[in-house]
Amino acid sequence: MSVPRFDELIHPATRLSIVALLAASDWVEFAFIRDQLALSDSALSKQLSTLDEAGYVRIERTVSNHRRRVLAHLTPAGRAAFRGHVAALEAIVARAAPGATQRN
Amino acid sequence: MDYEPTPAEARAALEVVERGRLRVIEQIDVPGWYWWGLALGWIGLGVITDLAHPWITAAATLAFGAIHSAIAPRVIDGRRRSPQLSVRSDVVGRRLPQLVLGGLLLLAGVTVAGSLALAADGAGHPVTIASVVVAFVIALGGPQLLAVVRRRAVQAGPRA
Repeated sequence: MSVPRFDELIHPATRLSIVALLAASDWVEFAFIRDQLALSDSALSKQLSTLDEAGYVRIERTVSNHRRRVLAHLTPAGRAAFRGHVAALEAIVARAAPGATQRN
Repeated sequence: MDYEPTPAEARAALEVVERGRLRVIEQIDVPGWYWWGLALGWIGLGVITDLAHPWITAAATLAFGAIHSAIAPRVIDGRRRSPQLSVRSDVVGRRLPQLVLGGLLLLAGVTVAGSLALAADGAGHPVTIASVVVAFVIALGGPQLLAVVRRRAVQAGPRA
């Protein structure tokens, strides 16, 4: 069970979508993320750079069958931040659920 | 924390997370050619068993096992349907390879039992007949097994 910790860097919808894809994968190719989320190359590069600078994502450039590939991995720090963020979102929803103990 | 989303915003964010997870779960699969290749190999082995010398049958069985051993570990984990990503093993479930191999062992037993029953009934080419039936089970049941695995991954929730 992760400790709830709201993460403002992950929270914007596009970044959250990217991290959610990476969280369920060992690695994902740049093109897959771009196509699944209907993003432009530049928009996705910008978001990945932000996550990379935060230490949440690692970018790997490889060549396979004469084709250049850019692979994105979620780092352990990124995974921990994502889990904490999801736990924080779940806690917010749970607090608002009917019958939940009201906080003052 | 400076900013806290409203419950509605939090719910919407969780839906974004779930959509991302489902996109990855859609990629859990074992290639169709694996099931068809296995089914055709099964029939081939049945035909050889009925028609050829026992030594040839033994050699063919060993060859079949060796080829399967070389190919299966790369495909039956269900994690690489697309060359564009690798699904985490805890999302697929770690038991898929055991499920596939256990199922094949069970079907090998069914083939032998079916062949013996057909032979006792006086059928011509009993192993071929039993192999064709089992081959259909493999070709049709394999993709169904993966559909079950994907359904279970969805139900497991976002705890990857």
